[in-house]
Amino acid sequence: MLFGPLGPSLAPYVRSSRTLSKWFKPISSWYANLSGYRRLGLVYDDLLVEERPDVQRALTRLTPREAYDRAYRFKRASQASVLHKDLPKSEWVNPEEDVRYLKPHVLEVVKEDQERHVWDTINVVRK
Amino acid sequence: MLRASRVVSASKRGFATVVDAASGFKVAAVDNGQPSSSVTVLLKAGSRYQPKPGVAHALSNFTFKSTGKRSALGTIREAELYGGVLSSSLSREHLALTAEFLRGDEAYFVDVLASFLASPKFSRHELSEYVLPAVHSESAAATQSAPTHALELAHALAFRNGLGYSLYADSHATGNITAEDIRDLHAHAVSNPSSVAVLGTGISTESLAKLFETAVSAHKASAKTPVVPSATPVPATAYHGGAARVSSAHGPQTIFVGFGSTASASVPTLHALAAHLNPEPALKWAASSAPVASGIPAGIHARSVLLPYSDATLVGVVLEGSDGAALREGAKAVVGAFKDAAGGKVGKEELARAVARAKFQLAAGVEAREGYVGAFGPKVLKGETASVQGTLEGIQAVSGTGLSQVAGDLVKSKPTYVAIGDLHALPYADEIGLSA
Repeated sequence: MLFGPLGPSLAPYVRSSRTLSKWFKPISSWYANLSGYRRLGLVYDDLLVEERPDVQRALTRLTPREAYDRAYRFKRASQASVLHKDLPKSEWVNPEEDVRYLKPHVLEVVKEDQERHVWDTINVVRK
Repeated sequence: MLRASRVVSASKRGFATVVDAASGFKVAAVDNGQPSSSVTVLLKAGSRYQPKPGVAHALSNFTFKSTGKRSALGTIREAELYGGVLSSSLSREHLALTAEFLRGDEAYFVDVLASFLASPKFSRHELSEYVLPAVHSESAAATQSAPTHALELAHALAFRNGLGYSLYADSHATGNITAEDIRDLHAHAVSNPSSVAVLGTGISTESLAKLFETAVSAHKASAKTPVVPSATPVPATAYHGGAARVSSAHGPQTIFVGFGSTASASVPTLHALAAHLNPEPALKWAASSAPVASGIPAGIHARSVLLPYSDATLVGVVLEGSDGAALREGAKAVVGAFKDAAGGKVGKEELARAVARAKFQLAAGVEAREGYVGAFGPKVLKGETASVQGTLEGIQAVSGTGLSQVAGDLVKSKPTYVAIGDLHALPYADEIGLSA
């Protein structure tokens, strides 16, 4: 996942600097709106590649409400795609609603996998 | 050299003194010079105190999961590297967390226990991924075991609420359990220092108290204090009694016949009565000379149970066998033995035998770790000296009239009767001579 939404990113560095974020914020908002997923009623974390064991595991950790909403958004977006039409403007996702509901869970799973790898390959030294 | 070390171990104190740690927890330990140590943390978080069915069972499976300091996997792998064993066990009144380890590793294992007290995470995904599957399999195993199921039903009939709550969370209960419920039960138990006791073996009381104190204060500093919800008052236990017959096609058929008592003064006498009613022989394959044993047909396995709690006691006999008619005969003999004891028909030798047997079972039970925690834990929580000497003297002082009086009070009350198995063959309570 070198170039995916979980890949290396300069965003934290940009956010930490007030000047940089002032420059980049308008561009990024413009780009996010341009990419069009919000017009299909999706949020950014719906685009995460889910055909991976860690994301699958993270998906099981959503609350029932989040899982239901996600399935609903996918159905609505598929229907819009079949019709080759964007949703009516009232159903577009606002930038404030575009929250990263899945990323924290994925990061947690990745951390657990890394820890398991560390314990599986640990070299124990007798003092 | 050998002689010197024996002298040292013999001069160590054979009983545990209770020390209040600065955080208010009660600490007691006994060091008999054994090669391994164990530390048990006892919390008043048994099924009796649970706000919803099954929460205590879920909490007991949530022990040694992620805390503020280390993850569940880290706890397991580190404990394996040290060669220790971590376990938790649930009773109706207490949750016991035990770490057993080699001498010298106490700092790590005390830290693991303290981190569960001070900074557990109780995360939602651990509940659904690790805890609930374990809870389900344990409850399924408990329902398949007829004697365990019989005792669960007997508690429900005898005490209804509080002590009557089941130890196991069935599949109906687990759907309603949330991580917040479990956190609340834990916070209740831990927020009140008088409901936490730390018991050690193979470690001195002073060093255990000191280790525990530093570990808890280190974890407390890093974790934020949880909000403790208002406690639901725990009502005093009352004995009710009743009868239940449950159909089951698996395993041996089981009958439980017993009585409950809420008089704490009669506990030593009940020890003697349970030993008197115990038809198990002292030698394997031999025939017991206890008066009950002659009335129990061959092929029926019977044993007496005595379950003392802080404000009530359940005493009875569990009979297991494949033949319903033989079970009926055996249960009749048990009820007859209860009535004989009530009628003062216990001979002098029989009483002496029962007293000796009860004393030995109590004293020998304390030798094992589980028995040590079960016998001393409640005493340490109360701040009493951890010793069974008082109970042993009480059993020694049991007289024939005292025994018949206590048994008479039991028989006058409503019996607790549970039958599990083929309901065509198993008797009703009045058919084996029980009143009501």
